[in-house]
Amino acid sequence: MTTESADVVIIGGGIIGMATAYYLAKLGSDVVVVEKGEIAGGTSSKCDGNILAIDKEPGFDSQMSLESQKLVSQLVMELDEEFEYRAPGSILVCESDEEMEAAEMWVNRQKEVGLPFRMLDRGEIRSEWKYMADDIHGGLECATDSTVNPVLLTYSMAVTAERLGARLKTHTWVTGIRLDPSGAVEGVETSSGLIRTKHVVNAAGVWSKPIAQMVGIEIPVEPRKGHILVSSRTESIGTRKVMEFSYLMSKFGKERKVDQLTEQYGVALVFEPTASQNFLIGSSREFVGFDMKINVDVIRCIARRAIRFFPVMKDIPVLRSYCGLRPWTPDHLPIVSRVEEVPGFYIAAGHEGDGISLAAITGKVMSECITGQETTISIEPLHYNRFKKEAGKR
Amino acid sequence: MSEVQQTDLLIVGAGPAGLSAAATISADRDFRVMVIDEFPEPGGRLLGQFHEERNHSWWIGKIVAADLIIQNTLAGVMIQCGVSVYGLELLPDGWRVLTSKGDIRTKYLLLATGAAEVPMPISGWTLPGVMSIGAAQVMANVHQVKPGERGYIVGVNVLSLAIAKELVVAGIEIEGIALPPDDLFAMEETNPVAAIELLTRLSDAAPAPWMRWGGKLAQKMKLSRLIASCFPKKGVKVWDLPLQLRTALVSIQGVDQVESVIVADVTRSGEIIEGSQREIEVDFVAIAGGLYPLAELAALAGCPFLYVSELGGNIPVHNERLKTTLPNLYVAGNITGVEGAQVAMAQGRLAAHSISYDAGWFACEEEPKLLDAIAEVKEVRRSAMIQFHPEIDSARKRIYELFEHWM
Amino acid sequence: MRKSLRINHHPLLGEMDKKVISFTYNGEKLQGLEGEPIAVALLANHIRILRRHEESGSARGLYCGIGHCMECRVELLGKGQVRACLTPLKEGMEIREGSRLPNAITGRVDS
Repeated sequence: MTTESADVVIIGGGIIGMATAYYLAKLGSDVVVVEKGEIAGGTSSKCDGNILAIDKEPGFDSQMSLESQKLVSQLVMELDEEFEYRAPGSILVCESDEEMEAAEMWVNRQKEVGLPFRMLDRGEIRSEWKYMADDIHGGLECATDSTVNPVLLTYSMAVTAERLGARLKTHTWVTGIRLDPSGAVEGVETSSGLIRTKHVVNAAGVWSKPIAQMVGIEIPVEPRKGHILVSSRTESIGTRKVMEFSYLMSKFGKERKVDQLTEQYGVALVFEPTASQNFLIGSSREFVGFDMKINVDVIRCIARRAIRFFPVMKDIPVLRSYCGLRPWTPDHLPIVSRVEEVPGFYIAAGHEGDGISLAAITGKVMSECITGQETTISIEPLHYNRFKKEAGKR
Repeated sequence: MSEVQQTDLLIVGAGPAGLSAAATISADRDFRVMVIDEFPEPGGRLLGQFHEERNHSWWIGKIVAADLIIQNTLAGVMIQCGVSVYGLELLPDGWRVLTSKGDIRTKYLLLATGAAEVPMPISGWTLPGVMSIGAAQVMANVHQVKPGERGYIVGVNVLSLAIAKELVVAGIEIEGIALPPDDLFAMEETNPVAAIELLTRLSDAAPAPWMRWGGKLAQKMKLSRLIASCFPKKGVKVWDLPLQLRTALVSIQGVDQVESVIVADVTRSGEIIEGSQREIEVDFVAIAGGLYPLAELAALAGCPFLYVSELGGNIPVHNERLKTTLPNLYVAGNITGVEGAQVAMAQGRLAAHSISYDAGWFACEEEPKLLDAIAEVKEVRRSAMIQFHPEIDSARKRIYELFEHWM
Repeated sequence: MRKSLRINHHPLLGEMDKKVISFTYNGEKLQGLEGEPIAVALLANHIRILRRHEESGSARGLYCGIGHCMECRVELLGKGQVRACLTPLKEGMEIREGSRLPNAITGRVDS
């Protein structure tokens, strides 16, 4: 057991922790990242990889994504390694006139806050997507949405942070957080010794709740399981992300016109082509604790949903499937916040399915917050105080 | 999707272990038994194996398999081939097995999935005409098509010598059996000393006299270094095979398929001697990287594992009765560790008795049979022609101990 | 005419007793034995190239022979991608080698 010290200790080596480490290291902070497994070994490698505004609530949420998109486009220049970045935009498709009307309202609200959204008619969908089902009514586009390989982006931030002096401690887990008599952070106890520090960032994703409990703070972050299928290499179906409009309904827990299993598993089409000639198919959302077993019934349900939109997929083999746990919060916004009751304790967690999208902006504002600078965007809406009354409820 | 099939015991793998288990259990009672396999015909690795016994008669796997298949057919066992398993789910009363031909529900599940080969990424190994040595065996002995007219084998181990011998019997020219290059990452057996140590385990089935009387004595006296030093550069003929322990296969050449290999002489410790490289024309290359237990389904089921190098890799934790730590799930054959077909067959019979015993019929009558079956596995292992690893018994004990600890 | 690779009289295993049938590979009419894996029928016709790597275009063939490595993927008309080492040959099958595909994302167009 050894004792070392650092300006900031980040708990969690996922994309949020690594973004925070990178931006802090860039500002000259002495950073240590403590990760119980491998870098990007949790949710950051069991997801797909997008920086999306298209599915964010118009206003603060979508603007936060737009800021993150700008930062990621800069990271292409700043980081030491390539991460399969592209910015082809993304689209949502509608199954009915009713959805088209809702989509139009969504587009108008996004345009009002200055985002590059537009409607797509049936003809535009047909000409871009030759394999899309004939009965799709139309859709909408967000022109700036971008895509990355999430594992490569996490590693790229990790190696760049390391070059800037950050220390990464993998296979090291946190056993406690030490507070001084006044209640302020004094150090982090780990499986390989004490690290003295005055600042701790809880970037532990789905495991952030027990970390917060170490300092007596309750945060309502719960694991929400999602499955993804990987196709074999195939002729191109499309070159950018497409989701069904009712994905938004599923995301925000609203009622949809789908069969019972699709509803129960929160299944909605998400199609994401990769640079390796295959594509990822999602998505599902379930609260089943920390169970990480693949549920074949969910996989089948996702496949059926995908074939409804792309009938050609019934003849494309699935290579494999995987699932991950998304750190859910009750209002679908992350917690990016200082904790006043415990000076020196910060939370950057609870991004659910937006961790890749919001990692850059989260890391940036967290680094600004810790070093006492003005934050790039206001983080008041992301303060953990908003859950104080209803902590633990779902 | 076809409708759900029901059975009492589902065996995954119609090889020596799976077919023996099915024949044993169904011979005893009225019990629905189903065997499935991904390969188009039953028999598994039995189909491609033959070797000369101590009394100079031939043991032919195809005949052994045919006999087991007849026993099973007469006993009413359903054998379905061309079926791939892609999911396993534990139910309160058994297992749900997801296959390419629909779901199967079974009370008991026996995984007898055998082994797969360790690949060796030698330069040029993706060229058509480069194949695993097991594939060469399947081509020549199961389908009776030569993998090529003239080939090179890379990798010196029990499997490569046994199969090389079979290929020669089938009329295929083997230009040489050489070592892999020593810069191949993480591979054992890339130097002459290690290869000879390995060959001494062939005991009395060893292909050359010095290995026969070597055997355990060579191991004990650390004679391998000496033998490696004396080993002639041009190789020796053993079993009529050109065994080249001082030669490494450096790369495989060809535009769209194998045209030749580059080989080179190596020092006793496996380093390539500069200037000794030469090109030899061949039309196929067989890579013999050794076997590892094919245990993906056990992982999918949720079994804990132990890495045991003596047994070839990661082994699902099980006890001497071949029960895993999960309810109603059993393992038999090479999934429990790499050994020969006769051991796998004895394990299949043991698994059958173990399942019968656990199912609770005539328990007091079954126990002696079960104990006999355990003793039989040990006896078959002890008298096997080919000793895969000298430390198999103690390695297996470690797994059984972990099972007790786990439960 | 090249020497056949079939082992017609194996000293220990005897002879194969299977019906000769016709199939096509990349449009060429060939003969094989009913029920033997596609990869075997092709090998017997001296055909080893089963696939072009989808990205690099390099030639690929059978590797493990037991369905595990997935290197032998060919296109079977009406079935899509199948493993040539596990798929039994049937009369009249139309088979094509797995082909290189343009990559719409990286922009590589040659196929």
